[in-house]
Amino acid sequence: MGSLQRLDENPCRPRHFRPPPCAPVVDDERATAVLETCRTRLVAAAALFTVVFLVVALRLVEIVVLSGGSAESHVGRIRAVALSTAPVRADIVDRNDKLLATTLDSPSLYADPRQIIDADEATRAITSVLPELDPGEIHAKLISGKSFVWIKRRLTPRQEYDVNRLGIPGLQFEHQERRIYPFGDLAAHVVGFCGIDNNGLAGIERALDGAVKGNAGPIQLSLDARVQFILHEELTKVIGDFNAKGAAGIIMDVRTGEIIGMLSLPDFDPNHPGATDPALSPAEAKERTFNKVTLGDYEMGSVFKLFTAAMALDSGVASMTKQYDASHDIHIGRFTIEDYHGKHRWLSVPEIIMYSSNIGAARMAVDAGAERQRSYLARFGLLKPAAIELDEVAKPHFPAPWREINVMTIAYGHGISVTPLQVITAVSAIVNGGVLHRATLLKLPPGANPPGEQVIAPKTSDQMRKLMRLVVEYGTAKLGAAPGYVVGGKTGTAEKNSGGHYDEKKLLSSFIGAFPMQDPRYAILTLVDEPHGTKQSHGYATAGWTVVPATSRIIERIAPILGVPPVDEASPAITRALMIESLQGKRIETY
Amino acid sequence: MTRLGNVFWLVLVLAAGFTTFKVKYAVQDIEDQLNRTRRQTVAEQQETRVLTAEWTYLNQPERLAELNRRFLGLTAITAKQLQRSIEEIPLRAPAAPTGAPPAAPPDALVEASPGPAAPQAAATPLPVTSAALNPVPAIARTTRQADAISPPDELSAGEDARPPGSATPVRLAKAGPIPAANSLDALIAQIAEAR
Repeated sequence: MGSLQRLDENPCRPRHFRPPPCAPVVDDERATAVLETCRTRLVAAAALFTVVFLVVALRLVEIVVLSGGSAESHVGRIRAVALSTAPVRADIVDRNDKLLATTLDSPSLYADPRQIIDADEATRAITSVLPELDPGEIHAKLISGKSFVWIKRRLTPRQEYDVNRLGIPGLQFEHQERRIYPFGDLAAHVVGFCGIDNNGLAGIERALDGAVKGNAGPIQLSLDARVQFILHEELTKVIGDFNAKGAAGIIMDVRTGEIIGMLSLPDFDPNHPGATDPALSPAEAKERTFNKVTLGDYEMGSVFKLFTAAMALDSGVASMTKQYDASHDIHIGRFTIEDYHGKHRWLSVPEIIMYSSNIGAARMAVDAGAERQRSYLARFGLLKPAAIELDEVAKPHFPAPWREINVMTIAYGHGISVTPLQVITAVSAIVNGGVLHRATLLKLPPGANPPGEQVIAPKTSDQMRKLMRLVVEYGTAKLGAAPGYVVGGKTGTAEKNSGGHYDEKKLLSSFIGAFPMQDPRYAILTLVDEPHGTKQSHGYATAGWTVVPATSRIIERIAPILGVPPVDEASPAITRALMIESLQGKRIETY
Repeated sequence: MTRLGNVFWLVLVLAAGFTTFKVKYAVQDIEDQLNRTRRQTVAEQQETRVLTAEWTYLNQPERLAELNRRFLGLTAITAKQLQRSIEEIPLRAPAAPTGAPPAAPPDALVEASPGPAAPQAAATPLPVTSAALNPVPAIARTTRQADAISPPDELSAGEDARPPGSATPVRLAKAGPIPAANSLDALIAQIAEAR
């Protein structure tokens, strides 16, 4: 009220001017109270906004300044995922980066017939670049008036290019990923194959499915495609020459357990795993996807004499000079153990291996005893499934009560069935100084020294090398001597058990070897299923005539690839390293 | 004062708005460019994958072995051919007399397996080595090889190239001054014809 009065009292006030009632006409106390409330609310609101803006500002600072690049990379990642080219499945390559499996974008051609202007012309054009299509069928599709018809699925990149070049409106592609195996059947059993939904169904594709899907980079196997090819070629030849049912081969680096080559014949093309050949029955087609190396359970025969000898020598039961009576067949129960190449006299340990004497090996095993035999075979990893990066692994079969008759037959590889993979892993340990390495299909970095288990003494390993060399020099594997590469090994010819009895006609001939014997680098196992003797082999289908010569050829071809230098086998250093003292000066009856 | 302040703020708002739009469009441009580049990268990567697969397919060992059998006839190295020390290498055979026709061009692609088609190869056991060690000056050698184009068996790989279906390998020889591309083209043409 006071202010109003003051304005009225202004002498300079124009006459017509009446001051507006700018202040509420309320009594002073109430007005102050209302104004106070307003002011408090304003302050509160301002404070609230300040806090909110402060929070926003702080958050901005945090994102842009404090978190550095991570926020940016977060944004970038989202965008990168949207544009990602990484295929669902990573490539699989061999040890030299050769592509074994890759994923390609595979276009399928479809048409929208409503957009096709001239069906006749379009049919002519399409069949000119895709001659395998039936023109009548295509024409019918194109005039059908539907909005979607498949023309052809899974075109090659070239076909896609050709179709695009036709420039016909209404033709479209749908893109899908498709697994391609450029080397075809070369490593079919190892690499395996995928189903149409890009899930691994066999081999590495299946066993390492998670890694194959998760990896951006390629998965590198220990295989060498060149070695694999040589195995393939030579074993295919063996099958042809001896009219055999199948064959298998493995090459292993004895120092690391890396598998350089693994082959099982007959094989299949992983690009079309289902439909290999319309002439094949489903059972035969299934047989082809069977990996004999890891899934085949075989009575390996005389190859097992190496384990018997290693056991006897390592445990001290026998020495290189100890002799066993092999002059008569052994009759035990209803069984008779006899020698294929009988010498009918006492034989020393080297002679038992060299002449592959069943009787001698059986006597040696009995000498060592069941418990020791069992524990050594377990140490060699022969009584449990092989550990490898594959799902297709068979369990070994061995007798549950380990009786004396079992001891005798197991000594020469009957009455126990194991996979070839287990055998080569164990023999690698026998020749490499006694260290058992886990078999692996993945490449190790060069110079890697994977952990291993000392299963026999280095001295025993040394003696075993000499025995294996002896077999190739004078024994059953003379045709396996790839000159210059100092091969050693042991043959095995087992009769297959068919329906409870052994069939003389159905053989499983195998050879396990290593080279160069003075300092082994690689072990090789070859096996042929049911070979038949030929004129060339003088009617024999035994290992010495079938797989041994093939192994010699394989070694001669792969050694230069693997960087194993040839040596002069007659040089004093080599002969001294592989000499067996007890046989020195004796005339060795060659087998 | 207030009016001046208003003008100042208005200008500032306009300037800020303008700058924002400018920056926004610049960013959009760059993003478009980035996306284009990314798409192109994707396309190139796909292309690379396809080409790698095709290259691997063409390098199937079986196929290479077959091509070798038909056109080159190379055989695996035998242990005898590998020597570890210099002492193990035997002394070289005496050089071929200079007046004689050239045994084989020094840059022969391949020494064909001795057969009726290659009588001259038999002149020296190691044509490549002996020719490399040949003291004849390079120019002289080129002229001799220019003459040497005339023998028909030297030309077999060049013009009328038609690989025989049998196992006998074709003798392939680059004849001296003819550029390497020629024989390579011929090889490719042969392969194309054989398909």
